[in-house]
Amino acid sequence: MRAAPSLQPGDSPRPREVGPITATDIARFAGAGGDFNPLHHDEAAAHAAGFETVIAMGQFSAGLLAGLLTDWVGIENVRVFEVRFVAPVYKGDVLELLAEVTDVRGDEASINLAVRSGATDVVTATAKIRRFARS
Amino acid sequence: MTILPGQLVDEVELPVERGKIREFARATFTADPVHTNESVARAAGFAGVPATATYSVGAGHYRDQAAFVASLGMSISRIVVGSVSWSYLRVLLEGDVLTATRVVESDENRVGKSGSMRVVTLVTRFVDQRGDLALVQREVLIERDTP
Repeated sequence: MRAAPSLQPGDSPRPREVGPITATDIARFAGAGGDFNPLHHDEAAAHAAGFETVIAMGQFSAGLLAGLLTDWVGIENVRVFEVRFVAPVYKGDVLELLAEVTDVRGDEASINLAVRSGATDVVTATAKIRRFARS
Repeated sequence: MTILPGQLVDEVELPVERGKIREFARATFTADPVHTNESVARAAGFAGVPATATYSVGAGHYRDQAAFVASLGMSISRIVVGSVSWSYLRVLLEGDVLTATRVVESDENRVGKSGSMRVVTLVTRFVDQRGDLALVQREVLIERDTP
């Protein structure tokens, strides 16, 4: 087994940049997850709903943050992952993915995560992670 | 229209498949090779290829979105998803067959800055082929009074 990470408050993975988000990125996620709402692939439908262009699914951003997290701490150490959707992600956006340990108690670390587009956190998340703790 | 907690929304079977895991890994820029290489996964201590963290989103391929929205008495054009959470009891592995049962956990009307809204929390329990709970997913749907 891989060792659980020995996380400490303030620890972060190297930030990850994704984008500019392309129609292909959104289509690839639609195929993976099965969300074929036209707002995500049909420009006319997006315009009719008041968006300037197609928007990515919230679950696309959630998946990006989950990937940043599990590449760092290991999928087997994730206990809870919770994502809040704050603002839309548009085709063409450049996204910065961020994470930081905020607290540790015993064998559990709390992590805050965000998807940032420009100066705005468009998606935020928290996670509870199993960590290595000397007993 | 208000729904009583516990009302069944839908139930689908979700197989955990190697190809679908690869699709999720690529679509979410997830680089850990345990998701795409069985020998790496086994060397890391997994009994097979582990699913990515949000693999359960793939239940969307098996669900009927229009039907579930209608069953809740909601209008799809006015719904946004506010938040989603995953509580993992174990790692999902290639070969698992999950039964995903989604029910209404709560249904409330709230008044916010932009008017009144209906907030519906759905909880999905993913039970594996041995009858053990593997994953609990919650999603909070927000329906605004005006489009």
